[in-house]
Amino acid sequence: MANWGMVIDLDKCVGCQACSLACKAENNVPHGSPHEQKRHHDIYWHKVIAATEGEYPSVNTQIIPMPCMHCDHPPCVNVCPSKATYKRSDGIVMQNFRRCIGCRYCIVACPYGARNFNFKDQVDEEYQRPDLPEDLGLSNEGHIGPWPYPHRTRGVVEKCTYCFHRVDQALENGEEVGSKLDGHHGVLPACVEACPTEARYFGDLDEPESAVSKLLASRTYIKLREEMATSPKTTYLPR
Amino acid sequence: MQLSFAPVEGNSKNYKILVAVLAALVIAGVTAYMIAYLYGFRLWGVNNSVTWGQLITVDFFFIGLSAGSLVVSSLVYVLGQERYKPIGRVAVFMGLLLMFGAMLTVLTDLGRVEKCWRLFMYFYLSNMKSMFGINGIFYAGYLLLLGTYLVAALSGSKLTKYIAPVAVLWAMLVHMGTGAIVGFIETRHVMYSPLKPIEFISAAFASGLALVMLLSWLTLKFSKRPLDKEMFVSLGKMLAVLIIVLMVLVAVDKLTHFYPPKREAVMFLIAGPWAWIFWLQVALGYFIPLGILFNPWLRKKVGWVIAACAICVVGIFFERAAIIFPGLSQPLEYYPGEIAGIWGARGGFLIMPAETLQTLGIVAVLGLLFVLGLKFLDLLPAPSEGEHAEGAPAEPAAPAPEGGQT
Repeated sequence: MANWGMVIDLDKCVGCQACSLACKAENNVPHGSPHEQKRHHDIYWHKVIAATEGEYPSVNTQIIPMPCMHCDHPPCVNVCPSKATYKRSDGIVMQNFRRCIGCRYCIVACPYGARNFNFKDQVDEEYQRPDLPEDLGLSNEGHIGPWPYPHRTRGVVEKCTYCFHRVDQALENGEEVGSKLDGHHGVLPACVEACPTEARYFGDLDEPESAVSKLLASRTYIKLREEMATSPKTTYLPR
Repeated sequence: MQLSFAPVEGNSKNYKILVAVLAALVIAGVTAYMIAYLYGFRLWGVNNSVTWGQLITVDFFFIGLSAGSLVVSSLVYVLGQERYKPIGRVAVFMGLLLMFGAMLTVLTDLGRVEKCWRLFMYFYLSNMKSMFGINGIFYAGYLLLLGTYLVAALSGSKLTKYIAPVAVLWAMLVHMGTGAIVGFIETRHVMYSPLKPIEFISAAFASGLALVMLLSWLTLKFSKRPLDKEMFVSLGKMLAVLIIVLMVLVAVDKLTHFYPPKREAVMFLIAGPWAWIFWLQVALGYFIPLGILFNPWLRKKVGWVIAACAICVVGIFFERAAIIFPGLSQPLEYYPGEIAGIWGARGGFLIMPAETLQTLGIVAVLGLLFVLGLKFLDLLPAPSEGEHAEGAPAEPAAPAPEGGQT
């Protein structure tokens, strides 16, 4: 079984937010209005933060794209009372909307702010997507229901899935999954695919020949909030 | 000591007005909840940053009061302190009511309340590593125990002696479990503390005792029942001790987290934008009640002791709020440095009508059940002889046929 992980090269990232937009488009995540953003009601599966240290003229702003870290020891899975959040055997931390009771304990426990609550039904037509297949019929363990989620439910918590539907579909069709250092990529999550500077890599961390493994073996890397001992599988190559 | 219990008559105009007002509030709360359920929780003040709001604050508050009430009742039924018997039954009844209210708040706070049964599928569909899942066992067992306890206490059964210690120990479990819900979350530094379960118990004892004293004094006074001033004064002394224990615990907790250089969380709590909640907790919960209870003149006057109780209950409410609001709104440090935009901004909270009405509605449900309980159950000591009671109280368990003049 693979152990999916993502490597983000902060030296290449230009902060264009293409990843955030690609994520919203791929997973049908609502845009959110300015009013909702002000009230922290809008949903983000992926965010890009800018952390600034120092003062002018010696100032450093670090731009960090943040999907879900898909931790090896996810605090959200520990606290979820109804087993709605679970870690698949390939390491992807999933959210089952059918089981989620909406207690929001996982949002309290997540150190990376990767989780969002769905505060309302999307009435706008663009989020009702009859063009999407009702169900891809993916045979992954832990049924998730129809995917990509054509009709969202309010009152549950949502999060990034590393585009598990792309990965699962590719594996079922016998396609290759993951980035390659020579540029002939296999199937990738939407954010990795959309990155114009190829700053993001996706692949199997257990496979020594994969691009992610080679990058992690050859360069120094950091993980966010390592003091929490969550062992994130989204890693960063510093500038 | 011979003591009989009797319901209040509940025919006076004031009683009827009280019931009507509470019922109206309940209806408003139910309506507010139905609207919020249909339109989503965007109608509430909660958001992705402060994800728990008024309802969970009230939930912790109620659970604390419930556990505290039970402990007060244990004075009578476990330790056999006969002089506190007049408020024993009220304490058990309040324990049950408040736990019921806590369940109402926590279940209606769920985004999908229709799936709440998943919380009670122990070891099968629930995750037993979750403090919420474990507390599911504590809460359900506690409600069952309390129900039996109340029936036993009301019928004056000998079973009370055996149920009471179990119920009190279970109440402590319930409350420590609730403290662990927030205390075990390392992500939120304001909440994260090994002392949280102990602090919750201690706060429960203080606030529960204060509320039982306050409510029993009010009902005894307004139903013109015999009022044992000595009992309230001695309970006041006990309250002072409990408040001091709580204060020491909170001080040690905050100092532990203040001493090392990584003290942002404590600074956020005591000097941040929500600092007023913490200082209200300290002033109303500890200093003002202690000032009254240690004043050599005031502590002997029942009115002042009861005032100290009321202030203390309000203060402990702020203690709950000081866990939820500063705890959740402190920005997460994803990366060293100042994070721009909404990701680094502190979470805000709006007082929204739907959430507030629902909170008031749940409080009103409890109030309504309490006043109805006074009328239909034998909770209060019967009126003193010669006043109104028909027939002198003979047996401790025998309910007098007539109540006091309300």
